[in-house]
Amino acid sequence: MGLSYKMRLVILALGICIMAGSGLLLKGLLVPDSFGVYGPYRADAIAENTELPIRHGTNSSCYACHTYEAKVHKTGLHSTISCEFCHGPWADHTDGKKKIGTLPVKTNQDITTLCLRCHNTEIKARSQQVIKTVAMPGHLESQKVKLTHNCNQCHHVHAPLKYIKRARQITGLTEEKI
Amino acid sequence: MKIQPPSPDMKKRSFLKKVLNGTIAGSLYLVFPMGSDGLEGQFPKNQMPPEQIPGIRDHAYDILDQEFAFIVDITRCIGCGSCCVADKREYNVPDGNYRTWVERYVKGFSDQVYVDAPNGGLDGYQNPRSDIQEEVRDTFFVPKLCNMCREAPCVQVCPVGATFTSPDGFVLVDDKRCVGCAYCIQACPYSVRYLHPVSRVVDKCTWCYHRVRKGLLPACVDVCPTSARKFGSMKDKESEVYKILKGPGVLTVLKKEMGTWPALYYKGARREVV
Repeated sequence: MGLSYKMRLVILALGICIMAGSGLLLKGLLVPDSFGVYGPYRADAIAENTELPIRHGTNSSCYACHTYEAKVHKTGLHSTISCEFCHGPWADHTDGKKKIGTLPVKTNQDITTLCLRCHNTEIKARSQQVIKTVAMPGHLESQKVKLTHNCNQCHHVHAPLKYIKRARQITGLTEEKI
Repeated sequence: MKIQPPSPDMKKRSFLKKVLNGTIAGSLYLVFPMGSDGLEGQFPKNQMPPEQIPGIRDHAYDILDQEFAFIVDITRCIGCGSCCVADKREYNVPDGNYRTWVERYVKGFSDQVYVDAPNGGLDGYQNPRSDIQEEVRDTFFVPKLCNMCREAPCVQVCPVGATFTSPDGFVLVDDKRCVGCAYCIQACPYSVRYLHPVSRVVDKCTWCYHRVRKGLLPACVDVCPTSARKFGSMKDKESEVYKILKGPGVLTVLKKEMGTWPALYYKGARREVV
């Protein structure tokens, strides 16, 4: 026990300094850079969250190239439906410069299944103010067509009443007379 | 950022002001690069989607002065599942996990409530429920997604600060910090979180934060054919959500008694909806 009082003070001070220093060093190493800018989290994570690729464009991204479909789709009752819901996302079709993939087009029975996803009266939750629904095969019977008909044989899928309105114009028939 | 050399007659005060403004703007610019730059890289000029949320692209995004709201109109939802499909495709959500989904509620005359959501509504609702014996009184669809709670339980429980409420009100996940302990999944009263089977970190609905910051609507809102889902900025007095929230219509939030203060509102929700 030959240490002097002063020596003990120096050792104590050194010890505190080393502990504080290593503590600060560890904190510097372990706490991420932008931690605490807005709160107890890494603020850079906000920017990282914005960097995800956008896979869905909007209808106007499709209209830019598909001008004929755009013309039909915009005027019809289906104008609020997203192209990408039926056909698939924009990013699967193009990388912005060239076409990278072909999006599926529904055919035959798949079309009817797709239509009935929204237009089925059996699902009672659908308000008639929001959507016009039909019961199958009652609708086919009342329209006097074959029960094997698919929806797209009378209805244009992009503008459902396009052909029907045209037919009414030509024949002069109204819905009541049919 | 380019700094102009000070002109000789520049006053000290204006110089200080400019330096301060520049520092603040510069640091914000470093932390949040403008979204539109990324968009131009991705979309060619003629396919660039027009801005759907006004006032985001052409302005510096002040993250401290933003507020967004999401309104789901149950009376307009037809249960087509477009939103679920779009969401799955936007994020390549693995099968069996859902960032958003649509539930079908059926209420009988005995006040018994039957809820189902086969495959989260991804395949739509093609057939009515056949297992209900009694006469059906009411039936409706309820889309579910992140409630973006202002007092988020998931944020409170995260032990590593990996989930947080950003200053503009989005509850986001920092996938570099997340250790996958799934504590937040248990804490979320609305069950919107899941553990990603590949990356082993938590994933959740972000209201398409990457789209919003580029001025686009969330994918589910954009594809909704009946505009049952509405999203917009509360800072924009012309936005539909602002007008609805300002108006007299009855809006409810889910699990109000939990005190989570969601920014997701439901219009036309019956009291059975939880």
